[in-house]
Amino acid sequence: MAVANLLYGHEPQVEEVDQLYKETRDLRLQGFLLFLISDCVLFSSFIFAYLYMRNSGQGWPPPGIHRLDVAFAAVNSVILFGSGATMHYALENWKHGNFNRYALFMIATIILGAAFLGGQAYEYTNLIVNEHVTWGGSGIFGASFFTLTGMHGFHVSVGVIYLFILLLQSIHGVYDKHKYFGLTAGTLYWHFVDVIWVALFSLFYLI
Amino acid sequence: MSVVMIEHIVAILGGIIVAWVSAIALKNDWNTPGMDNQVFKIMLGLLFIGAVIAALAGAGVLGNFPQGAA
Repeated sequence: MAVANLLYGHEPQVEEVDQLYKETRDLRLQGFLLFLISDCVLFSSFIFAYLYMRNSGQGWPPPGIHRLDVAFAAVNSVILFGSGATMHYALENWKHGNFNRYALFMIATIILGAAFLGGQAYEYTNLIVNEHVTWGGSGIFGASFFTLTGMHGFHVSVGVIYLFILLLQSIHGVYDKHKYFGLTAGTLYWHFVDVIWVALFSLFYLI
Repeated sequence: MSVVMIEHIVAILGGIIVAWVSAIALKNDWNTPGMDNQVFKIMLGLLFIGAVIAALAGAGVLGNFPQGAA
């Protein structure tokens, strides 16, 4: 509203605000996509550094370190991927004006995201306490594993908070059936953390 | 039934369900216009691949290394 006031030089009418929304929506979308691409570059640089170090050493995982627990990680991955699906249906229900189902899917997404973080915390605890794998004391393996999955976990944590804020905003009427860019951005962000996990899960657990 | 066995079953069933749901969502969104929807389609496709990978990992097809393998 403040931006509209600045642009029009007077208290804007509803039609003018709607017009401004239409005019700026694509710009905001492009800006958000650029943010996701920059985040993708960040992850890519860490992933390529990890691959370089992995292939220049003495086999993988290094001697004395066991392979990671694939079955547990697969369950945790399914939880995160499932949250991507619920987020998608949350947005779809919002578009179709079904608020109750939107809220249900949104809450499910937040719970699944938090469950993924819980699973990751359990895995970290198991690695540190039982396997004695640490960030600084286990060479390239520990450093790369904790850096990449930790960075991803940080993104998921931010995403869970972000989705919770979006849920509160939508309850308080910030968005309507036609103006919901925040929800679109939230869905894009959540899909992004899902897709990054596809790469990390494959790299750390399956190859 | 051991915990590991339950993990395998959950990963397989969960992976299949998520892959199925994301495939349906992708099919429903296939003809939707707009830049955001194009990105959603790419994301849903990758989500489908991720779910299939998780199901295959749960089934022991992927990441099934012998005990003590380096």
